Amino acid sequence: MFLKVQLPWNVIIPAENLDAKGLMLQRSIVVCLLDDFAKKRATKDLGYYLAVSTLESIGEGKVRPQTGDVLFPVVFSGITFKIFRGEILEGVVHKVLKHGVLLKCGPIENIYLSSLKMPGYRYVPGENPVFLNDKTSKIGKDVAVRFIVLGTKWLEAEREFQALVSLEGDYLGPVS
Amino acid sequence: MSGEEEENAAELKIGDDFLKAKCLMNCEVSLILEHKYEQLQQMSDDPMNQVSQVFEKSLQYVKRFSRYKNPDAVRQVREILSRYQLAEFELCVLGNLCPETVEEAIAMVPSIKTKGRAHDDEAIDKMLNDLSLIKKFE
Repeated sequence: MFLKVQLPWNVIIPAENLDAKGLMLQRSIVVCLLDDFAKKRATKDLGYYLAVSTLESIGEGKVRPQTGDVLFPVVFSGITFKIFRGEILEGVVHKVLKHGVLLKCGPIENIYLSSLKMPGYRYVPGENPVFLNDKTSKIGKDVAVRFIVLGTKWLEAEREFQALVSLEGDYLGPVS
Repeated sequence: MSGEEEENAAELKIGDDFLKAKCLMNCEVSLILEHKYEQLQQMSDDPMNQVSQVFEKSLQYVKRFSRYKNPDAVRQVREILSRYQLAEFELCVLGNLCPETVEEAIAMVPSIKTKGRAHDDEAIDKMLNDLSLIKKFE
């Protein structure tokens, strides 16, 4: 699910960027914030950081001793993407393996659908391997699939989420 | 122990913070991201280089999975769904997946049928009808 969040953030402006006043300073704060935001990538609580939508407020700057940099507390709204257990989503298959498929959904690429969780589908090997069922539904590369999320995992080192998903349930499977 | 272990979106257990948070439908995100991308295009020759991987992948995703493209239609979808006392999360799941039947809607958002909530099949059917009308006239 995409979320609209309001976040407090500390922006540090290096001393050498401080000579200009007013608009230029505000510009440095925005540039710095956008840069930090993109670098952050994702957090366990809020998910992936997509975009800053509005800068709500800029607090009073505090000069840091020694360096002379100035720290500005700001509040902004932004968009994030987080995946929840029990959520029903649509994703696209990007890899077909013998024991299941890998899907991508929004910024997340490691979504695993095991063949054990695709009742009725069997693996058909070949140059473009696919999973087929009796009703000639096909799950192969680039096919959109509707699934339910069984579990999610946050990988701190990579700043990535992984998810396990299933087709066990009504109205789940490939979508056109 | 923590609320996290009990997380289950099907029962609308997604943590108090998220229950109150504003959710966005794919079509809304698509409008916002495309607008941002256009702004970048005006400022640089190679806008794809200016955006993060997360932005790029999300933009691709919402372009493919937006049921409504027209900004007016997108606004109407939220307006119509807002009349049905849905949680933000439920509203967006319905707007994203556009179920065609009452049965499908309940399968996608089981929490709308939990005890104490006012959604009978008739109300859900009317809601789906309103949604399909927007799609038709988009």
